[in-house]
Amino acid sequence: MNSSPITTWEGAEAYFTFADSPSAMMLILGLAVLVTAGAVVASVLHENHTYIDYK
Amino acid sequence: MEQTAPTLAELQTLIEMTGTINMEVFYWWCTGLMVIIHAGFLAYEMGASRLKNALASGVKNILAFAFIIPTFFFFGWWIYLAMYNGFVPDFEAAAAGLPWSTNMGPNLSDNASGIFWGAFVLFAATTASIFSGAVIERIRMSSFLILAIILGSVVWILGAAWGWHPTGWLTVEWGFHDFGAAGCVHMVAGFFALGVTINLGPRIGRFMADGTPVDIKGHSMPMTIIGLMLIIVGFFGFLGGCMIYAGSAQWTTIFGTSVTLSAVSFNTLMAFSGGIIGAYFVTRQPFWMMSGALAGIFSAAPGLDLYYPPLAFLLGITGGVVAPLADKFITNKFKVDDAVGAFAVHGVGGLIGLIGLGVFASGFPNVIEGAPNVSFTGQLMSAAVMALLGFVPGFGLSYVMAKMNFLRVPPKAEEMGLDIVEVPLEAYPESVPAYSSTSEVPATKITANA
Repeated sequence: MNSSPITTWEGAEAYFTFADSPSAMMLILGLAVLVTAGAVVASVLHENHTYIDYK
Repeated sequence: MEQTAPTLAELQTLIEMTGTINMEVFYWWCTGLMVIIHAGFLAYEMGASRLKNALASGVKNILAFAFIIPTFFFFGWWIYLAMYNGFVPDFEAAAAGLPWSTNMGPNLSDNASGIFWGAFVLFAATTASIFSGAVIERIRMSSFLILAIILGSVVWILGAAWGWHPTGWLTVEWGFHDFGAAGCVHMVAGFFALGVTINLGPRIGRFMADGTPVDIKGHSMPMTIIGLMLIIVGFFGFLGGCMIYAGSAQWTTIFGTSVTLSAVSFNTLMAFSGGIIGAYFVTRQPFWMMSGALAGIFSAAPGLDLYYPPLAFLLGITGGVVAPLADKFITNKFKVDDAVGAFAVHGVGGLIGLIGLGVFASGFPNVIEGAPNVSFTGQLMSAAVMALLGFVPGFGLSYVMAKMNFLRVPPKAEEMGLDIVEVPLEAYPESVPAYSSTSEVPATKITANA
């Protein structure tokens, strides 16, 4: 997978992976947001399950 | 081999690049030092928890840090850049803070965004850690995480945009000055914590049936005290991060007024010392001496760039005296169980700081065109804004969570201890069982005995 937005370091500015591909950036960002929110949801579910025996 | 002298243009480029690299180096190490704040909060909270809750408190603290970082990337930094006018965003000014901006990643034409974002993330995580200590031993992890994200990546940074920004409206309209973020970090986090603890309620056994408070002793006072000292070490990074490195010109505050590291060195150490002495005077307890050191620094934080050092010392003493008394007052009078005195140390300490600056530093000019000078009225009104900005969302959100029965762990789980119920591990497995009710450390006083 060629994720490089540059072909030379001469005059390079934003050089991070997929910097020249807004759609790829949005996809990765969206996944990161989903994983973060999902981790909170997983924490809720874990606690709901854990506390069943303590109610 | 013939050597040619560098041209003026080459020298200029060299000087500018050296300044840029120095700027990055400075904030890099400030950020690194600020991580020590979190090592301190971790030790502090775990030590202040009973044996049966020590690990759960640690997990909660670590997760707050972990969740603040991505959420601050997703929307926190944008809020800071966009919301300096109030509630109406400046989309153009904040474009570089959007999470899909090319400034928000490795970029050879932007040495500033990442390093400032990093420093602000650590400020954000500090607010979440301040809140974290107040609610130990009975809050649900998930509800805590949601509240910590809202505090660390929304609420405090909105306060920073308003009152800790080169053109924040509190400064533009009221002349607000707050060098060390006593308002947006400490007051907002302290008042947020107060709002949540009211709805969360006290730990089981914290008050007798007649309302008499029973102090619940943490399992390791030395760990707590060392944690507090680590927080103070980290605050030197925090305060360094409050300064703007201008390269070829004098340092400035975030408001653009001139300052030196020497000024901050004088006043931080004097306030630190005053806080310890003040708290020792009224409590004789090491927990409060170190908490008093923090309260002392916050009580002088808005003017660490301006004060005559003995004045910072006296303000530090004031913070050190008032914080434990304030904690005792809200505990006894309102039956609020703030497990580590977060409201008293950060909320009240920050409040003393903001109002103290209005009393002792009125008349100092601002550099923003048209902005009024520092004044008592401006500081007082701004302090009220910070208090409300922290308290209202903290109280409101936790109220809704409490009504949904989502805020607090079940009583049986609380009595058993969250380590064995939720983690599930024991902090000291070769010791007596942490989940045994007979293993609890006898209740004694951690609050002020004044």
